[in-house]
Amino acid sequence: MTPLKTVGHGTHRIDALQRVTGAAKYTSDVHLPGMLYARVLRSPHPHARIRKIDLTKAMALPGVKAILTHENCDTTWTSGDQLNQRRLFNNPVRFAGDPVAAIAAVDRHVAEDATHLIEVDYEILPFLTDLEEALKPGAIAIHDGGNLSLNNQRQPLPQTYKRGNVADGLKAADRVFEDHFTSAHHNNAQLEMRVSVAEWSGDKLTVHAATQGIANCRTDIAKDLKISADNVRVISEYMGGGFGNKNQCQDSDLMAALLAKQAGAPVKLEFTRKEDFVAVHGRWSSRQSYKVGVKNDGTLTAIQFTALTGAGAYRKGSCDLAGTEIYQVPNIETSVSPVYTNTAVAANYRAPAYPQGVFGIESLMDDVAYGLKMDPMEFRLKNMTRKFRDQTPYTSIGLEDCIRKGAEKFEWKKRWKPIAGSGDGPVKHGAGMAMGMFGSGLGRSSAVVRLDGQGQYHLHVGVTDVGTAAKTTMGLIAAEELGVPLEKVTVVWGDTDTCPYSVGESGSRTTVQTGMAVIEAVRDLKKQIADKGAPKGNDVLTAMATTNPPQLQGASRNSFAAHFAEVAVNVETGHLIVTRFVSAHDSGRVVNPLTAQSQVQGGTIQGIGMALHEELLYDKRSGLPLNAGYYGARIMTHLDAPLVDVVWVQTDEPYGPFGAKTLGEPTIIPTVAAVANAVYNAIGRRVKSLPITRDKILLALTQKGDVA
Amino acid sequence: MKKISRRRFVEGTGAGIVAVAAVPAVQAQQKSLPAASATVSAGNSSVPRTAIKLNVNGVDHRIEVEYRWTLVELLRDHLELTGTKIGCDRGECGACTVLVDGTPLYSCSQLAVWMNGRSITTVEGLAKNGKLDPLQEAFIEHDAPQCGYCTSGQLMIAKALLVSYEKKNARPTRDEVRTAMTGNLCRCSNYNHYVEAVMAASGTAPSTGGGNAA
Repeated sequence: MTPLKTVGHGTHRIDALQRVTGAAKYTSDVHLPGMLYARVLRSPHPHARIRKIDLTKAMALPGVKAILTHENCDTTWTSGDQLNQRRLFNNPVRFAGDPVAAIAAVDRHVAEDATHLIEVDYEILPFLTDLEEALKPGAIAIHDGGNLSLNNQRQPLPQTYKRGNVADGLKAADRVFEDHFTSAHHNNAQLEMRVSVAEWSGDKLTVHAATQGIANCRTDIAKDLKISADNVRVISEYMGGGFGNKNQCQDSDLMAALLAKQAGAPVKLEFTRKEDFVAVHGRWSSRQSYKVGVKNDGTLTAIQFTALTGAGAYRKGSCDLAGTEIYQVPNIETSVSPVYTNTAVAANYRAPAYPQGVFGIESLMDDVAYGLKMDPMEFRLKNMTRKFRDQTPYTSIGLEDCIRKGAEKFEWKKRWKPIAGSGDGPVKHGAGMAMGMFGSGLGRSSAVVRLDGQGQYHLHVGVTDVGTAAKTTMGLIAAEELGVPLEKVTVVWGDTDTCPYSVGESGSRTTVQTGMAVIEAVRDLKKQIADKGAPKGNDVLTAMATTNPPQLQGASRNSFAAHFAEVAVNVETGHLIVTRFVSAHDSGRVVNPLTAQSQVQGGTIQGIGMALHEELLYDKRSGLPLNAGYYGARIMTHLDAPLVDVVWVQTDEPYGPFGAKTLGEPTIIPTVAAVANAVYNAIGRRVKSLPITRDKILLALTQKGDVA
Repeated sequence: MKKISRRRFVEGTGAGIVAVAAVPAVQAQQKSLPAASATVSAGNSSVPRTAIKLNVNGVDHRIEVEYRWTLVELLRDHLELTGTKIGCDRGECGACTVLVDGTPLYSCSQLAVWMNGRSITTVEGLAKNGKLDPLQEAFIEHDAPQCGYCTSGQLMIAKALLVSYEKKNARPTRDEVRTAMTGNLCRCSNYNHYVEAVMAASGTAPSTGGGNAA
């Protein structure tokens, strides 16, 4: 790959100064004159019908300005549920945390006080917290049509995929391996809680939103409030993390807008940390079953995969599971069924369908390798994907190099134990690895670039920068294509009034999609400069582009990764630490190695938390969440975090801006499975349910078998 | 400074009620600074208020506060110092860490009325005379902030750590940095770069970031 002048060199964020001085303005920092504060009252019951809401006492509290409930607000929050009519305030309420009322008052304490003065008469309904219980005949129906949610064709059937003939494949196998795995609902837990500030000026609504995509947020708000998108402005200058939690518009955006309308004043609606855990969303849980056929030489003949996934009370996300596609196999059947329960809603969290699915398939494939007395790394090199679903060639694939170079850096041959659990106690070390891949499609996005008479370039891109350094990346791509230093490019972002459509920072698409639009706009500008000369004085030249994604001619664009973990487990106490980690990634050309390293190290450490700690627990008797918050979730801390070594495999990718592929989400995909496999290698027992907590490790060691 | 674990830190904020009550109500830190004293009044008029004096980033303030205001509310909503962030408002995450008379505390877990006579440093007070603190420089250099929401808190806890080590003319080890900062969560999980940056600012070679010793 030819080195480039600007792209590919570690570069500080263009807004780093604002981020280290407190000058960066996040949504919660927005303060408007006369602004009211709003709070939400939520259902304390997992399932109940509201007979009556009495607002008399709350409205009588001095300082209360507006209250919304299902009785005076029937607005639908369309992005809150893909299939059902989910209103902002639902009756019946379907989970502990479902909004019942929103209150705007002169300050947040008055708003909070008012929530305690609202009297709600509930008719308590039976509830469900368990996926299998929810599918039993006679179970109460959480939505019309039952608790099995619809598939992509909107049929009450599982989401399926098939190629070859699994029965034949299993018959042709020398050995068949079967097992079950479960993963937990856990929270995105970004540091910035949900907050929206809404202000009306006549018919025009401005929403300061904490969103991953200002353009989609604006479209959604306009749709749900039934107003023209021209009358909606969304601003998100700085955003305190989301990991998929802040895609599109949030119910808080709509509630703030409606409260502001009713009160005739700007409104800041704040969710608390507990609300962020129970009432926004987390990653869907899963129950997975696999049957794998294999020849004695390690060649796969069949994979059969069925799963239930926990949608929670509404269908906000795809609730799909991925992972089997990292193996080449002639015969495969997969079937995934999303199920409603009266628990917190599940939706997108960094690579939504992947790390839990990869945990399942990569745990089982590890067992297959041990069963055949093969090195799990060699087993993966033999069976890893070469073509997407064994049919479609990849535009570029660096998976083999990720495995080989990652293994070398990790010292796999030295650290992995051929006999699992064979280390000397009480602290036993073990090594594990796993693979992952993630689609890196190209699609439509836009950019505008302007050259002024003073020789400065202004790049307008509708990105918000959720922490990925997206605006720096866009600046680097523009500077490279222009052949100027980064300082010559001023990036304008985060405001729908000044920026064209961008795809939004979800699906790890900004670099590849908006980046392509930047390149096309700059090419147009350069042509104009060549034709007309550079502008002088007050003159400007402007160029814009909406990309037409290149035809991949039947090829599939994907990013690849292999992760390697070493753990030390004290077999007397169950205490576990991750002692070494190597993350090898093929994301094509790395646009900014400095910030990309932050992404990989951060995604990996997040994944270790998912593997070892995080689960939103429900009390089965009351249907109430037990551990909503950071202490309960036990997300990774400074002391938990190992040093993560990053290995780049920069494939020569023919598509994407300067050969870049997707990065943000793949960083968490193989992590969980790599840690789980390392635990097996250390103790010789497999823990098959996430998170792999100390009690499960001790149970596995004492019951002399694996833990389901 | 003693090493502060996350749990001890929070227990400490509870114990702070006693510690603060024991401090005589001396109107300390009333330096006459060039910046004018600011008197602020805001909020709900029906709630009892107490007048307190405090110094924030070198500026004296006299302000009537409601009993229920936390320090972070006072800073953000009434003194317009929004660099300090609220990540949980319940003593779990450390995003709101500020220095109170040099001691790092969660400002969500301190009541504003306890701050009478106290001297507060927030992220806005780190740079001196238009020059960034070496920690801020190192945070930029090592790409420590991703989303940046926890960054102010990470800076303040690191500042307290480095000041205490400078006093004894020592430099912290990587593990001491990680231990001291463990009450400050980063969900982007950029812990490796945070530790690298603090080591660099402390003058210790930043060859590698944090990590569990094998």
